Amino acid sequence: MKKWQLKLSLLLIVVLSITSLASVATAQDTFMGLTAEQLFPGAQTDLERTSAMAALQAAGFPDATGRFAGQTLTVSVQQAGPRGGISGPYYFWREAFQALTGATLDIIEIPQAQYYTTTATDFLTGQNTYDVMNVGGWYMGDYVTNGWIQPIDSYINTEGYPTWEPDQVATPLYELLRWGGQTYAAVNDGDAQLLYFRKDILESPEWQAAYEAEVGSPMPYPINTWQDLLAITTFFNGKDWNADGDPDDGISLHLRSGGQGHFHFVTVAASFAITPAAGDNPRAVSKYDNVFWFDPDDMSALANSPGHVAALDYLVALTATGSPSQVGWELAEAWNNFLQGNAIATFSWGDVGSLAQLPDRSVIQGKLGAGRIPCSTQWYDRETSTMMDDAANPNCVGNVTGGSWMPVMSANTDTAELAYYFMAFHANRNINFWNSTAGWTGVDPSSLYQLFPPRGTASVEDYAQYGFNASDAEQYINAYGENLFSFPITLPYLRIPGTERYWNALDVRLAEVMSGQNQPQPALDQVATEWENVTNDIGRDLQLGVYQAAIGYTPGG
Amino acid sequence: MYRKNRMGLLFLLPGVIWILAFTIFPLLYSLALSFTDRQLARPTSGQFIGFENYSKVFQGIASSVIDTRSEQGQAFFGAGASAVDVRVGETIPTTIFLTLGSTLLTLLLGTGIAWLFNHDFAGLRIFRSVMTMPLFAAPVALGFMGLILFNEQSGIINTVIKAVTGGQWVPWFSQPWPARTAVLLLDTWQWTPFVFVVVLAAMQSIPTELYEAARLDTRNSWQLFSRITLPLILPALGTIGMLRLVETFKILDIPLSMLGGGPGSATQTYSYYAYQVGLKNFQMGYGSALGYVLVIVCIIISTLYFRRMRSRYDQPKQG
Repeated sequence: MKKWQLKLSLLLIVVLSITSLASVATAQDTFMGLTAEQLFPGAQTDLERTSAMAALQAAGFPDATGRFAGQTLTVSVQQAGPRGGISGPYYFWREAFQALTGATLDIIEIPQAQYYTTTATDFLTGQNTYDVMNVGGWYMGDYVTNGWIQPIDSYINTEGYPTWEPDQVATPLYELLRWGGQTYAAVNDGDAQLLYFRKDILESPEWQAAYEAEVGSPMPYPINTWQDLLAITTFFNGKDWNADGDPDDGISLHLRSGGQGHFHFVTVAASFAITPAAGDNPRAVSKYDNVFWFDPDDMSALANSPGHVAALDYLVALTATGSPSQVGWELAEAWNNFLQGNAIATFSWGDVGSLAQLPDRSVIQGKLGAGRIPCSTQWYDRETSTMMDDAANPNCVGNVTGGSWMPVMSANTDTAELAYYFMAFHANRNINFWNSTAGWTGVDPSSLYQLFPPRGTASVEDYAQYGFNASDAEQYINAYGENLFSFPITLPYLRIPGTERYWNALDVRLAEVMSGQNQPQPALDQVATEWENVTNDIGRDLQLGVYQAAIGYTPGG
Repeated sequence: MYRKNRMGLLFLLPGVIWILAFTIFPLLYSLALSFTDRQLARPTSGQFIGFENYSKVFQGIASSVIDTRSEQGQAFFGAGASAVDVRVGETIPTTIFLTLGSTLLTLLLGTGIAWLFNHDFAGLRIFRSVMTMPLFAAPVALGFMGLILFNEQSGIINTVIKAVTGGQWVPWFSQPWPARTAVLLLDTWQWTPFVFVVVLAAMQSIPTELYEAARLDTRNSWQLFSRITLPLILPALGTIGMLRLVETFKILDIPLSMLGGGPGSATQTYSYYAYQVGLKNFQMGYGSALGYVLVIVCIIISTLYFRRMRSRYDQPKQG
């Protein structure tokens, strides 16, 4: 080879290398021809933008522009805005979804309090505005039995759609996606209430000594029971433990009427009112065991059982160790009170763990403690009609309390394939994991890939790369895993027709007790009466059948 | 002549169709519904049940004075005591408090402010315009504004109260009576300008000669007001009072958006509950009956008022 030929060859190789490197770099910087800035106009930090881009590229979504170009998908979601809980992710990923499908995504926000009414009215009047609705797990009882939504089993993991892994979803949450042996929802959010506390304060030797000096016994830490929690919040309430010059709170709860305050009661009451089955399978459902809402033989309401009343007595005492304003607080106000360092503990959903990592919302990053929801040393055994009291072997009941907000597909949509593409997009491991690491999204962990070993496959580093404090991530995610997997039994989820009406009756009476207008026993008697009336209105036989199926009860079995 | 009438009828037709479609038809349809057990999303519902829904409403109202769990209640309501809808009864005290409270307060404040504005002073027109601004606010938006104003920790109202009392504050959202009072204050704030505008117009229609003649005897402002102004604006006040009673009786927006009807059911009014039953629980039959009882009460109030007005103006002519 002549010298000039060699030079030319080398030059060609260099040019080709630079060109291919540049094209690789360009490919990594864009997705479907769009840059991260174009895809994520709502991102507020470079970390958000780059990590979202990486998640999108890792997801391996199939290009569906040829199939869906020109179509429009209408999705309804709880009103919280482009950076709000649950609605936020739909806005955040909208450009990416539109780029992949060539379709237009219309997001319709509906206030939480009006959500069921609005969507149900839409079905009942035959307007069929929405192709996909983001609903709470308890909507299923009405949505499925009225034929408003359709199963998605035939689409799951078929070619041409984003992949997601139903077998990765924690079993209690996976059951919420299904009804009657069919899958109606794709995974999105995973709700369970767990305990959060100020680890830095409770582990401080000075505060532990102060507790012992005042109370006369060592601080019950780690917190294992509700009774431990009450002892701790009672001690800290009214003391200036954050040294800001003002007295601080023990607990921080949201108890406003028409909000989600009743979920607090349900979470507490589970361990006061549910008993496990004797024998090898504690989860076996009988007339007396693993039931909470109604007697599974006749649908008589159990809301005023001694266990439920003891739980409400407890909740009143616990609430008294916090701000008197809790009765009027919405969810965010209770969270903010804890995140701003004014309360020693709260029990709520996973959002608190991820919100604690946001500097604009929280002053407690690195100070967060979390644990599974406490057990109770007192509980009611319906079979023997006895109030049990056993501090050595408390009654422990897990929960998946909350909406676990999930997308479902309208039975009347004319864009079913596009609708499923959307549902699967958000259920995809990469997108779902990203959502659960950003506090503002309201999306909480639901799947094994979000939990730490031995239950899951995530690592602290996976969370740390999104800005999590390592200790907080460990506390929060371990507590989540414990909450979902370590309890012998779980609070049955109420999802029968008319659930909203049952909730409403409970919500109103609870708030009356919390605001001092009523006492626990008469208030819960009233709830039981109102539940009976709701059951009679809708039809006792219908309700009984659905309820038995929902909790897995076989009469005489 | 016939052609002219036909053209007239043709022009009337859109209005007639509108009223038939959006007023008369819903009115008759809901009347029919109120005699059934119709529930949306329950296909087997819709049976004719006679006056059962109305009986349930009136039993519920009765439960506001007779406790269904007491011996007297058991005797009064019989075997169906537990099925009585006590939630209806629980709305009655709140509804009465808000209806009477807001009507009286708006009348008093509106009349007082109108009297002040019935004098000549610089910038009167600007003040008058500013005064009417609350009228243009949507009540739902007012409720949300109330959330900020009455916020127990950071609201401007409690901030002022804390400054004045040295740290005491009012539990506007967490205790029943402060919560009801917050609703009352917001409603009063919105509707006082309405009273002001009408009363001011009534005051300005009073001939100045009457005042000039009276001032020969007294310069006491209160005497002038009570002897001349008040009697002459009384018909206007009566009309406004009736309108306010009917309007406030229907109050729903502010308690709903500001407090969600809470704490507990403390700010749930009768209309709020009718909305809850009909449009949230989808009990269309029962909800319609609740609505009709409300309509009947409003008709009674206005009939009584108009009868009184008629008797006032239809005095037999002398001679």
